[in-house]
Amino acid sequence: MAIVELISPEVVKVPLAAGTKEDVLRELVLLLKDAGKITDTDGALDALRKREEMGSTGLESGIAVPHAKTDGVDRLTMAIGVSREGIDYDSLDGKPSRLFFLMLAPPNQTGPHLEALAEIAKLARSKEFCDVLMNASSSEEIVRLFRVD
Amino acid sequence: MDGPIEKMMVYIDGTEQSITAAQYSLCLTRLTGARLIALYVIDTKALEDLVKARIFLKEEQMDYERDLKEDSKRYLNHVRELAQRKGIQIETKSVMGRVHRELVREVKEEKIDLLIIGELSRIKSRRDEFYDETERAMRSVPCSVLIVKDEDRVWDLYESL
Repeated sequence: MAIVELISPEVVKVPLAAGTKEDVLRELVLLLKDAGKITDTDGALDALRKREEMGSTGLESGIAVPHAKTDGVDRLTMAIGVSREGIDYDSLDGKPSRLFFLMLAPPNQTGPHLEALAEIAKLARSKEFCDVLMNASSSEEIVRLFRVD
Repeated sequence: MDGPIEKMMVYIDGTEQSITAAQYSLCLTRLTGARLIALYVIDTKALEDLVKARIFLKEEQMDYERDLKEDSKRYLNHVRELAQRKGIQIETKSVMGRVHRELVREVKEEKIDLLIIGELSRIKSRRDEFYDETERAMRSVPCSVLIVKDEDRVWDLYESL
């Protein structure tokens, strides 16, 4: 499933208010809850925290991909957040993370979950595109960038 | 000379579209008498790529691979049941690797003359064109390709078998 099919302005936050790793997870999960995409907010947050405990999903170049399997969602769901200041996310290069792709999937939807994560992995390799996303001024602009690029 | 369709392959990826393709392929099997293989590809390449990208840990790779193997069993069983319900012979096959490469390899190896796939997602961005593994396979296989559309009509056709 293409990322563009998962995102709408309601699940994109620019800029994020969060200043810590815990806060950014909570902010994005609440965004998904408000968009009606999550049935169990605490369950989803717990699943994300457990995954982060195994090892940070903060990559290099300011990108983080928090993800988890959880019964707290009925279908594959995704939120995107952009932090202006950057957040200490225990990233691989030690630099603050600015662009967050948060993904939650029910345990029985491994195929689509994998497909969407693979697409993010490919996106993360395009520094130019990620820079454009990080400098977007609104959630609508982020969604538009996915549609035209 | 043999008929135009002697051996068909339907690609199953767990989507509703691929199940519709399976139903249509069963209709064609009844009509043509061709042999039919249902193929599921466990996308281990995507798992490896996610580990390389550091998005996945090794433990996750193994966990997701187990899930994909279970998915493959479940969906191929479902297709087998669809065939049995109509008294049609079908062979099922599950392989591991990169989807488009495995599809092309299997089509060649099995000497398939018609590949049947479900309706492709609508292209919503230019990126989609490069990322869709099924579309890549469709362009690369040496045989004819049939894209199955119209779920309701296909269901009626299948039910009337």
